[in-house]
Amino acid sequence: MDKSRIRNFCIIAHIDHGKSTLADRLMEMTGQVSKRDMEAQLLDSMEIERERGITIKLAPVRMFYTASDGEEYVFNLIDTPGHVDFTYEVSRSLAACEGAILIVDATQGVEAQTLANVYLAIENNLEILPVINKIDLPSARPDEAKKEIEDVVGLDSSYAPLVSAKEGTNIGEVLEDIVKYFPAPSGDADAPLKALIFDSYYDNYKGVILFVRIKDGKIKAGDKIKTFRSDKIYEVVETGVFAPGLCPCDGLSAGEVGYIAASIKSIQDVAVGDTVTGADNPAAEPLPGYKKVQSVVFCGIYPLDGSRFNDLKDAILKLQLNDASLLFEPDNSVALGFGFRCGFLGLLHMEIIQERIEREFGLEIITTAPSVSYKVIKTNGEELYVDNPSHLPPTSEIERMEEPIVKAYIYSPPDYLGQIMDLCREKRGVFKEMTYLDKSRVQLEYELPLNEIIFDFFDGIKSRTRGYASFDYELIGYKPSKLVKLDILLNGEACDALSMIVHEDSAYARGRTLCENLKEAIPRQLFEVPVQAAIGGKIIARETVKAVRKDVLAKCYGGDITRKKKLLEKQKEGKKRMRSIGSVEVPSEVFMQILKTNKD
Amino acid sequence: MAGIYVHIPFCKSKCRYCDFTSFPDKLCLAESYMACVYREMAMRKSELESKTFDTLYIGGGTPSVIDEQYIAMLVAAAKRNFRLSEGAEITVEINPGTISQKKVDLYKKCGINRFSVGLQTAVDSQLRDLGRIHTLNEFITCARLLKGENFSVDVMIGLKGQTIDDILKTIDVAAAFGASHISMYALSPEDGTPIYTDYLNGELPDSDEVAQMYAAGCEKLKSLGFERYEVSNFAKDGKRSRHNLNYWKRGEYIGFGVSASSFINGVRFTDTFDLDEYFKCILSGALPVISSEKIAGDDIKDEYIMLALRTSDGIERAEYKALFGKDFCDEFSAQLQKVGIYLDISADRIRIKDQYLFVQNSIIVEFLSK
Repeated sequence: MDKSRIRNFCIIAHIDHGKSTLADRLMEMTGQVSKRDMEAQLLDSMEIERERGITIKLAPVRMFYTASDGEEYVFNLIDTPGHVDFTYEVSRSLAACEGAILIVDATQGVEAQTLANVYLAIENNLEILPVINKIDLPSARPDEAKKEIEDVVGLDSSYAPLVSAKEGTNIGEVLEDIVKYFPAPSGDADAPLKALIFDSYYDNYKGVILFVRIKDGKIKAGDKIKTFRSDKIYEVVETGVFAPGLCPCDGLSAGEVGYIAASIKSIQDVAVGDTVTGADNPAAEPLPGYKKVQSVVFCGIYPLDGSRFNDLKDAILKLQLNDASLLFEPDNSVALGFGFRCGFLGLLHMEIIQERIEREFGLEIITTAPSVSYKVIKTNGEELYVDNPSHLPPTSEIERMEEPIVKAYIYSPPDYLGQIMDLCREKRGVFKEMTYLDKSRVQLEYELPLNEIIFDFFDGIKSRTRGYASFDYELIGYKPSKLVKLDILLNGEACDALSMIVHEDSAYARGRTLCENLKEAIPRQLFEVPVQAAIGGKIIARETVKAVRKDVLAKCYGGDITRKKKLLEKQKEGKKRMRSIGSVEVPSEVFMQILKTNKD
Repeated sequence: MAGIYVHIPFCKSKCRYCDFTSFPDKLCLAESYMACVYREMAMRKSELESKTFDTLYIGGGTPSVIDEQYIAMLVAAAKRNFRLSEGAEITVEINPGTISQKKVDLYKKCGINRFSVGLQTAVDSQLRDLGRIHTLNEFITCARLLKGENFSVDVMIGLKGQTIDDILKTIDVAAAFGASHISMYALSPEDGTPIYTDYLNGELPDSDEVAQMYAAGCEKLKSLGFERYEVSNFAKDGKRSRHNLNYWKRGEYIGFGVSASSFINGVRFTDTFDLDEYFKCILSGALPVISSEKIAGDDIKDEYIMLALRTSDGIERAEYKALFGKDFCDEFSAQLQKVGIYLDISADRIRIKDQYLFVQNSIIVEFLSK
């Protein structure tokens, strides 16, 4: 393949601005998929993605396009997620491209996430082509959107195509612009092999499938390869491209995007961001990898059925291969047994992983309340980071604690400023700055404790502004804070899986709500169960789960016996889903209940 | 021990809580139906030749709603086809709104020696609410007809607007008019019955209130000399229902008529619930069984435990060991760590403590295999 006729690009945009729809349209226009086979959002192959209408995993695809100059070009498109949690996925796909299509919704203008992704693209030296989408909507204001791109993002938008991906309007212009504005890949096909792994997943038949962008050199079946991270040598079994879906080809060379299968069985041996090179003639040094992922939210994941720990381990390992931003380490809890402490990029990321474990691996799991990573300075001067409340040292050994702080950018029409500021105040936010982008849009800048925004801040913003505001954040460091460990005692016994670290000012309210929720969620037992919240040794709230007084099958005669026995078996089945905290049986859902402490 | 059950699926009108098989508008079919029941008995005759039956129970529906002749012929058919032991307990269920001197006389004459009277409550407004066809006065008339007989009275708790005093009064009335046995049940609102909407609307007493009613009722029954021998059943002077005890001891029984269940030679089976289907089968000479299940392995033990722990006698350790090869306490030592405090464990038996009988499910499930 002649390098000069390859275009590698991705699409970046705020969530809901129409990335996947534009990708669908590009595939359709290039004849990659016939209209008949067209299923909305073709690249969103995960069930969860289609259900939620969001893109989580980047999905590559190759297209052929004959441009107006008469030449045929190969387009490699990498669709990217738009949600704030998946910035890491975005940055991975950017590293495999030379160009980025920036979609801006003509009805919404530039949003927080648009900016974050554009800056990522600029950092990666990508050429950016702005595209104004949704011009078919009556509320479209393409001129304002263009102006915002120039004012806020600082890009020339005069040549931006005005399109409607939904209606298929002006898609041809976008295709031409891809050829015109995006550079062909550089790189030397005769140099030693350097291929960047930008994604991977585990296939039961072929082993680990590596998604790669060949920067230098070439690769074909039979070649011996290795990665920079390990010394193991593999023989390439198959190379191919994304058509979409895996489609074998004779080989890949500099500039191309494709996949490699090399019978790699061990998931730990390959990492996304690593460089593949030839075993016989290795490159001198690897390509620059990605920034190391920084987990923002942590929670414990345990198998509902304790005997399935190994299945859970297998599931998490396989998911990590496919999602390098998922971090984990083994953990064990008195209440929940063996499991994992996992780190996520955000709350949505956490939810998605939980759902994928349950759906793709058929495992039922228990998750504990999400937490952030706190810095603890001990009296002996030692410093440590704690994201698991049960690992917090005793109060007497703690000199002080610090919590992670983020700088949050909120974009909103001015009408909702009051509501947003109220919410930020409730969440211990410190107002920094307010900028009018134009008369209809304001940018608010706040410093907020991360642990206040991981729960429901995003939902709060959306509901208080009827969906008009958008929000993005970046970690800026740690600040001292009055934090305490809130313990929950059931029948006098502390339950490690229900502990959490909270700000002192909200501890009482939290403790009270928690006890109230638990009282509702814990089924009545044969004895009375006190539910208490405590800080240190001091009880700050108490509720009581009364003893059960009636639990008996009515008339149990004759033919009833079989039916009644089924009822008891069902009751027993329910018990199996419970965990024992001391003598108290607690349904697994209770551990999730704790997430619902803020009812607004 | 073995029993015979006959189901009479006819009623004057359907009570609002009833989810049994009964057809209030098909009384005209009673004659043909009974003919089929006699025939079903004949069809089972040779198969059950070797068994001796100690009880015959005629339930419903409302057996007393049909002509008493059919009941007399039914008892005769049972005696003709099967071996009934000397002094067998023969019970018929009666509704106080459908009884007469003539009926009682014929029942007694044909060999019926035990009656089960559906009173439910002594408060007329509650009887109307339940859709019962009788009043308290009619119960009194009925009880007078049964004077000197061995009869049981059904009492329901957990009714809409019911107070503890109402329950005490009902028990008092039943006892005063000569009941030797009382069954005290909590109303269980089943989906699909009219009373279920009362339940959905929160009009029925909650489980705590029902538990209080039950406790008060138990105390009252005890003071009147009724001994609790199963969670819902109370008897004077050893007048326990042998027919029901047989169910809880996993004894065998054969059922006749629509929806009747049987347990013979380790197999549980049930007759069709559909009246037309029942007729068709019998007339074509086929048994009307629609489902059957061989009880084997751990299911036997599960049934045994679940049924025995309902009774105040509980599990007999020697019998358990003889049946299952292990001492109960050895087999379940781990479970006993957890729920042993709710049990009375003596050298010869294991029973649920009195105060926990009404919360027995969560104790029993600990001992089930699945």
